[in-house]
Amino acid sequence: MEHFKYVGKSVPRVDANVKVTGEARYTVDIAFPNMLWGKLLRSPLAHARILHIDTSKAEKLPGVKAVITGKDTPFTYGVTHMDQKPLHMNKVRHVGDAIAAVAAVDEETAQEAVELIKVDYEELPAVFHPLDAMLPGAPVIHEGVEGNVAARPSYENGDVEKAFAESDYVFEDTFETPPIAHVCPEPHVCVAKWDHSGKLTFYVSSQMPSLARTHFANFLKMPESRIRVITNYVGGAFGSKTLSRFPIEFASVILSRKTGRPVKFQHTREEEFHYSTLQFRFVITVKTGINKDGIITGRHFKAICECGGYVSHGASITSVAGALQGVLYRYKNYKYDGYAVYTNVPYGGAWRGLGNPPVHFAGEAQLNMIAAEIGVDPLELRLTNATHAGDTSATGALVRSCGLSKCLEKVAEEIGWKEKRTNPRPNHGLGIACGVHFTGIRLPTMPDTDFAEAKIMVNDDGSVNLTTSCVDLGQGSNTVLTQIAAEVLGIDMDRINTIYGDTETCPMEWGTRASRVTAIGGMAVKKASENARDQILRAAGEKLEINPDDLELKDNKVLVKGNPSIHMSISEVARFNRYRENGQAIMATNHWDAPSHGNISSAFSFGAKAIEVEVDPGTGRTKVLRVVVANDLGRAINPAGACGQIEGGVHMGLGMASTEEIMLNEKGGMANNQFLDYRVLTPLDMPPITPILVETNDPVGAFGAKGIGEMALIGTPDAFVSAVHAAAGVWIRKLPVTPEKVLLAMKAKK
Amino acid sequence: MKHQIKLNVNGDDYELFVDPWRTLNEVLREDLNLTGTKLGCAVGDCGACTVLIDGKSVSSCLTLAVAVDGKSITTVEGLAPSGETLHPIQAAFIEKGAIQCGFCTAGMEMSALHLLKKNPSPTELEIREGLSGHLCRCTGYNQIVEAIADASGKLRVDGGEGVKR
Ligand code: FES
Ligand code: FES
Repeated sequence: MEHFKYVGKSVPRVDANVKVTGEARYTVDIAFPNMLWGKLLRSPLAHARILHIDTSKAEKLPGVKAVITGKDTPFTYGVTHMDQKPLHMNKVRHVGDAIAAVAAVDEETAQEAVELIKVDYEELPAVFHPLDAMLPGAPVIHEGVEGNVAARPSYENGDVEKAFAESDYVFEDTFETPPIAHVCPEPHVCVAKWDHSGKLTFYVSSQMPSLARTHFANFLKMPESRIRVITNYVGGAFGSKTLSRFPIEFASVILSRKTGRPVKFQHTREEEFHYSTLQFRFVITVKTGINKDGIITGRHFKAICECGGYVSHGASITSVAGALQGVLYRYKNYKYDGYAVYTNVPYGGAWRGLGNPPVHFAGEAQLNMIAAEIGVDPLELRLTNATHAGDTSATGALVRSCGLSKCLEKVAEEIGWKEKRTNPRPNHGLGIACGVHFTGIRLPTMPDTDFAEAKIMVNDDGSVNLTTSCVDLGQGSNTVLTQIAAEVLGIDMDRINTIYGDTETCPMEWGTRASRVTAIGGMAVKKASENARDQILRAAGEKLEINPDDLELKDNKVLVKGNPSIHMSISEVARFNRYRENGQAIMATNHWDAPSHGNISSAFSFGAKAIEVEVDPGTGRTKVLRVVVANDLGRAINPAGACGQIEGGVHMGLGMASTEEIMLNEKGGMANNQFLDYRVLTPLDMPPITPILVETNDPVGAFGAKGIGEMALIGTPDAFVSAVHAAAGVWIRKLPVTPEKVLLAMKAKK
Repeated sequence: MKHQIKLNVNGDDYELFVDPWRTLNEVLREDLNLTGTKLGCAVGDCGACTVLIDGKSVSSCLTLAVAVDGKSITTVEGLAPSGETLHPIQAAFIEKGAIQCGFCTAGMEMSALHLLKKNPSPTELEIREGLSGHLCRCTGYNQIVEAIADASGKLRVDGGEGVKR
């Protein structure tokens, strides 16, 4: 194995000091002396025609500087389907759809003004579940989309019907996962600031500042160079701050232009729970044919995704989840039917795992049901069918590296799978599940690319400014990218300043999403660093009159290989190169497009989870005793950071499994919009977690790395539900697994 | 009508005119520009806004500024003993990987400070109980709990000397 100085080392986060001291500035912390506050008027009805909007009273309220409606925001947008508008003039399709916006001297005045806007509606029949929305005669939510099915992504390989007919057993089960919130600690927030030269500076908490610039340049028909998007430290995102645009963003931009003052909008916690996009509700039916030897003969998934009022990421997520499900096992016959369905609930978006957690939940939970039914060990069942490196999936994906079997074996060994299952303790149970996720993504519905960019500039003193296209959302990307540059350049990490999140200084980006930053963003940094390293070696070679091939970079110096007494500091090289005749900067950029053409992704990360649960038969309460997680992440650039992703992923996954659910009342309004009734797991709920990092050295990613942020979560609810079954003898097919559901199921069984 | 109040924040005295409905969180963040204290929910459920008032941890989002007239407030900006050193709690958060996005960090640290003053040798369960009003969406808490246990050990040994950055 190669010897690295920084790669593979658990170094502290590069932003740790400013975070522990409170110095780190997030977008919520941005304020200007003359800044106005904005508020949206949101629809109280789930489905209605707008007959009339009267803003006159609001405009007259002292302190109000401007009021806008849909007339002022004539834009149409969306992720794959251009079905959204910032402010609606004709129709609203979910409670919370935005209608008007106000900018005022303070938040209270803005809110007061919003309440003075009068809207006349004609209420329309509404529908709040995708199965109801698909029924004949259901209300039509978007003109021309009868049956409310907005997209029908599908995959087919082989003949599942024939396989079922020839199988020893066939099972069919239906599962449901509810809408879940991202619960970003820092809510969606933005400040728009126009100056009188006609330039827009837009501060936004985002995973894709470049895309915000592209979008607003298109909407406003202005050059991208006149728009500067700044993303400061980000207080969590989990997918919700990617491709979606939000009404608050349009409203702040337009209101700032109108008033000539900075305008800030920030979701309240209530708005954040419901209107910052959700993990979509999924209803999934899985039909599986299997033989006595445990070989899966065919599998058919029917996945119904509830988009809500707008498609947003619904179509792409429904598609991706089907493609990925096909990568997990060696399916000879595979069929996937996805349905992206409109309803009148607040729309969803990208949520850590992009539809993969719900679809995995159905597939993996059913596999455990099958194992119990036909009397095989669920671990063996998985090992029998698992995908291996070199496979091409039923959905056409080439798997270049794969640690799936190893992950399964590791978690089983660590949790004591065999022993504990042989001698089960009463009311205790073990569950296991595995999964696959992409590293970067290429979708037919988007430009055919999966790129990242980076730029290295060597300063006179030999230190380095690295600008990256990747945003550190808290996952630690800046640390990992700094490690990669330090490794290639032989420069200490603290001599590298890694800068992100400013479209005026940083290269273009394709988003901090899809678990792509370490592998793909890292590769752009690696290649730019290699280019800069070669420039340094060439310049040093000239100065020292030594062939650059005989030089190397180490400890901030250029050394002669085998004769380290001859050396030059990088500073000396940089200065020599710059100040000589026809001088040059040492500077390098890179644009790296991951080689995934024709594939959903260039690399796949795999993982397995084993969970031990205790169920109280009197109350139905579940207690997680331990979670063991093995993740094939290619290579751990920063093992401590990777383990942190696992800890956090399991936390969200256990929340999805046991407590988290967005609930609506019968009118489609919010029933739970605070932490008291939307339960995020607390410090007292968390079990010990044992992360195991499995390295498979992927041939594509930077230093062999693959993604981990999403895979860290995937499989948690699946293993949890199976552990509950092992402890209490009941299968819960609809998340979350609440004590009431367990108790009811136990009673029904008796 | 605005009220005149006096606050001592991190050792500095301030005289301020505030509306009676404004919270301590708003006054710290907006009037004093001390934005290290965050606002996560505004209703006392998440702990992101925690500060110490006369040494006790309090949700600044639920505290009216006028109600703390004359009191001493410590915020995260007052935690590090100097520009060159970190508090052992801060150093432990870094060492144990207890930070991801960092949005919950200030609140967690302030509660940890209060907890360790009250109970210098907390058990793991006592640490978890001490943090029970805090939410973190990124870390899953276990590293935060470890960090506080680690800091408690260091504080017992050297009484809270700063740690060089
Ligand atoms: S902001 Fe004060 S407890 Fe959440
Ligand atoms: S580190 Fe992000 S909320 Fe705790």
